[in-house]
Amino acid sequence: MNASIQFNNVSLSYGEIADEVEVLKSISFAIDSSEVVSIVGPSGSGKTSIIMLASGLENATKGSIKVNGEEIVGLKEKELSEVRRKNIGIVFQSFYLIPNLTAVENVLLSLEANQQYGLEKDAEELLGEFGLSHRMHHLPSELSGGEQQRVAIARALINKPKIILADEPTGNLDSVNSESMIDLLFEYTKKSYTSLVMVTHDNSIAKRCDRIIEIRDGHIV
Amino acid sequence: MVILFDFQQFKLINKYALRDFSRSYKKLWVVISTLFVSLLLLSLTFSIKEALNSEIENNSKELLGGDIQVDSDIDPLPNQVIEQFNELGMVSSTIEFATMLSKEGESPVFTELRAVDNKYPLYGEVETTPQDASEKIFSNNQKPNVLINESIQKLLNVSEGDDIVIMGQKFEVAGLVASVPDLAESAVFGEFAIISMDSYEKFGLSSGGSFLDHKYRIKFNTLNEIKEQEDIINSIIAYDDRIKTRLPGQSGQSLSRVIDNFSNFLNLVSVSAMVIAGIGISNTLLSFINQSNTSIAVKKSIGFPSSFIQTMYFYEIMLILILTSVIAYLIGVFSPLLANEFLPESLGINLQPSFSALGYLNIFFIGLLVVLIFSIPSLYSISEIKAASLFRNTFNPVSLNFSFKNILLLTILVLVLTIYFVSQTNQKLYTVFYFVSFFGTMLIFYGVSRLLIALIKRIYKFSNNSYRIAYRNIVAKKSLAPIMTISLGIGLTLLLTLSFVANNLKKEISDSIPSLAPDLFFVSIDRDIKGDLESYIKEVDPNAEIEFSPMASASFISLNGTPIEEVVSQNNRSAWVVRGDRRISWSEKPKLDNPIVEGKWWEPGIEDELFISMDSRAAYDLGMKINDKIILNILGRDVTGTITNFREVDYRDISINFAIIINKAFANKLPYEYVGTLKSGLPSSEILAMVVDKFPNVSAIKIDRILKQVSEVLNKVFIAVTAISLIVIVVGLIVIVSAVLVQTTFRRYNNLIYKILGVDFPTILKAMTMEFAVIYGTLIFFALSVATVSSYLVVENALQLTWFFDFGLALWILVSTAAVSFILILLANRSIFSPKVYPLIRNE
Repeated sequence: MNASIQFNNVSLSYGEIADEVEVLKSISFAIDSSEVVSIVGPSGSGKTSIIMLASGLENATKGSIKVNGEEIVGLKEKELSEVRRKNIGIVFQSFYLIPNLTAVENVLLSLEANQQYGLEKDAEELLGEFGLSHRMHHLPSELSGGEQQRVAIARALINKPKIILADEPTGNLDSVNSESMIDLLFEYTKKSYTSLVMVTHDNSIAKRCDRIIEIRDGHIV
Repeated sequence: MVILFDFQQFKLINKYALRDFSRSYKKLWVVISTLFVSLLLLSLTFSIKEALNSEIENNSKELLGGDIQVDSDIDPLPNQVIEQFNELGMVSSTIEFATMLSKEGESPVFTELRAVDNKYPLYGEVETTPQDASEKIFSNNQKPNVLINESIQKLLNVSEGDDIVIMGQKFEVAGLVASVPDLAESAVFGEFAIISMDSYEKFGLSSGGSFLDHKYRIKFNTLNEIKEQEDIINSIIAYDDRIKTRLPGQSGQSLSRVIDNFSNFLNLVSVSAMVIAGIGISNTLLSFINQSNTSIAVKKSIGFPSSFIQTMYFYEIMLILILTSVIAYLIGVFSPLLANEFLPESLGINLQPSFSALGYLNIFFIGLLVVLIFSIPSLYSISEIKAASLFRNTFNPVSLNFSFKNILLLTILVLVLTIYFVSQTNQKLYTVFYFVSFFGTMLIFYGVSRLLIALIKRIYKFSNNSYRIAYRNIVAKKSLAPIMTISLGIGLTLLLTLSFVANNLKKEISDSIPSLAPDLFFVSIDRDIKGDLESYIKEVDPNAEIEFSPMASASFISLNGTPIEEVVSQNNRSAWVVRGDRRISWSEKPKLDNPIVEGKWWEPGIEDELFISMDSRAAYDLGMKINDKIILNILGRDVTGTITNFREVDYRDISINFAIIINKAFANKLPYEYVGTLKSGLPSSEILAMVVDKFPNVSAIKIDRILKQVSEVLNKVFIAVTAISLIVIVVGLIVIVSAVLVQTTFRRYNNLIYKILGVDFPTILKAMTMEFAVIYGTLIFFALSVATVSSYLVVENALQLTWFFDFGLALWILVSTAAVSFILILLANRSIFSPKVYPLIRNE
């Protein structure tokens, strides 16, 4: 199998030399295509940093990161944006929908960033599949937390990305909504052979994944 | 930023920008309103200036009164010359001179009298009330008729059919003259009358002396080959250097110059307002970006590069610029119609709206430069927003991006703006000086705000809660201090400077000059009656102070062998000294109030050499040096003279002063007349009435009347100038209010915490008052200092008057501006006085 994401001796530090904090310490791992992986560990262990590095939203201090075979360490902002557009969908804990865009407009944003125009029907269909056909033209402030997260997942999936990075996607949801959200993500990734990398504190969710990567003090345990 | 080659991407930017604008326009109101106000002022200035210049250009023949004008000054042209003119076209001759118009029981009025023939005017019409009044002056009545303007009607209290006396001859008032096509300044601002040439000759009114002005206008038979016909005219009059011609293009030059100067001032005020608006744009845009930081981060996380988001916001600003500039331009285009309502009817000007794409682009380009200068540091801050913050849920506000690249870009843009303005004006040096002063003052005020924050940080130990809150607000990252100091500081400095200069000038005219100036100024006194006049005045008032000076006419021909036109440019401040006929005087000894500043006075008794004493300021402006050779044409003869000294001449007291004085021994050979001044204990109207009654041919100007007229005109100009400069303050206040509104969320949150901690409303209000007082107090100290220094420099150096400081005026301006600003700030802040605790508890 080809690796969707490959970390080789990747380190991440913050701050100046005197008070430098090393968040990730020379970690290496690979995630295969259509593999579902959860990243677990205590707070501050570096879980989210892995997602940030894999999405190109943070620069590694050392090491090599490959996304679908393409080295992303050292790329410029514009090139990283392109890598994200073509390969990655991100789901955040706090949903982060754009407040002055409706549900369907938020989903369309991903397509338009990828220069795919006139695909409103696709966005509406996907939202329909997620049970939001009656909420498509509502603003985020008019949606419940669960609905907002479903829109956020639809925004991440509409582009048919090869990799989905999810940072505690159920962190702001109750147990019923959490369950249905995870079902939605798992079902979709299996169906479309997409890799899913998910940071979670929830052991039951982690256990449902193909593999668990545990992080502690910046190391893979 | 993204180069918009990709049409699909352009469509996307357009779609996002329009959607964002339609849903967030309330947040952008300050950008829209300040940009609109400053663009409107600029547009009004350009449109009215263009309309005025186009009116002058279109009516140049009417303004001149013919296709060409020949001016022979004191002497009429010989008949054979006029006959040659007649072969080319219709000729109309006029004579203009100053004389007294009087009526029994009223003080005589010094008037510009124009004697015209029945062909006048060759172009346009004389507008009168009643309509046929102008025909009456040519009728062969026993009693001649005169047309007077409204000012004379009021001063002499006469109406149609009444009698008035001109040089001892009774004239019947035929009607009122509202306007003449060949615009006479007296018709607009002073006293002006018209009689027929026949009356002038029949009643022997030709005693205007050296102030007579003969003019001949010609309307060519054919309008082909105008240039050739002009050349023929020039060859006909080539026998005498003193005879000058004027063409239609030159007819409105002085008026155009006045319009250019005033519009240049307005343009500078507009650009000042626009720069202040730019500060608001920068601040609003930055706040807008900070408020949208999550959306921007989300877009980045999805894969939009910073350049795309920057372009989108820039596009939004461009839409606002296009929208506001189009509306401002359209209002500007139609503004001449409104301006017509305010122009004096006697000017006979009817402004027309005119649309030009170039005119719009001019305004758009200036707006674009200002928008670019102030939006670049804000837009580039977008690159500092990290999408990674979405994982941490922490957002630090971004600040203006002043990278080396941006500073370089901004410097280039500021230079382009300055050069663009400078290239459009004749007063390049003043414009450059204004821009340098303006941006210098901006930097001073920015430094002042930083100094204030640094100083307050050093004295942070306050025991009082209000002081502590005020202190925290001033030193906070989102402090009002920098934006308030710059926005209000600039406007206040401009207003204070203009008001100080205006007040100094008004005081000079209303107090200083009247105390020094004579009561009457006699013009053109025949030397045969000078003795009798002097005796008569002494008889009437033995204590009267009378001064007479001999006077003759001369014109400049050359300086050190170079024709004077080539030496002195039109824009030279002292060009008036060498332009046309100039009155000169002579003296054996230097006048006490004209001290010699360079060179020596001449030896008495040298008859065959011409020595010249020049006004030092004029000599400096005209580049003259001691021992330079000047050729003067005196009574048709070119005479070479030597400059022997420069005098310091103070024209302020309106006593008799001459720019050029020659040696008496040489001048003894010349025919001459006198000018004189009179200062008397008797009322000037009374003594003038007695003198004119006794000596009908004597003309005298009442100085208090002239000062009153000048004062009235200046008052109107100053009110207009001050009102216009107030726009800068208004824009500054909008910017401050917007800055306050931007801070509202932050302050409401703070006040909520204070409220929970038990701080009451009066303490918060007191803190806010303290904060305002400290910032305003600091800014007025510097605004007052800059205004005092700049007004001193203008008054003492440019106007050459004695500067004084008017404490009352300064206090009035500062207190009223403070009151308006504080009330607006309170109104903008009203929502933070009683914050609701519930949203905080619910973390909303």
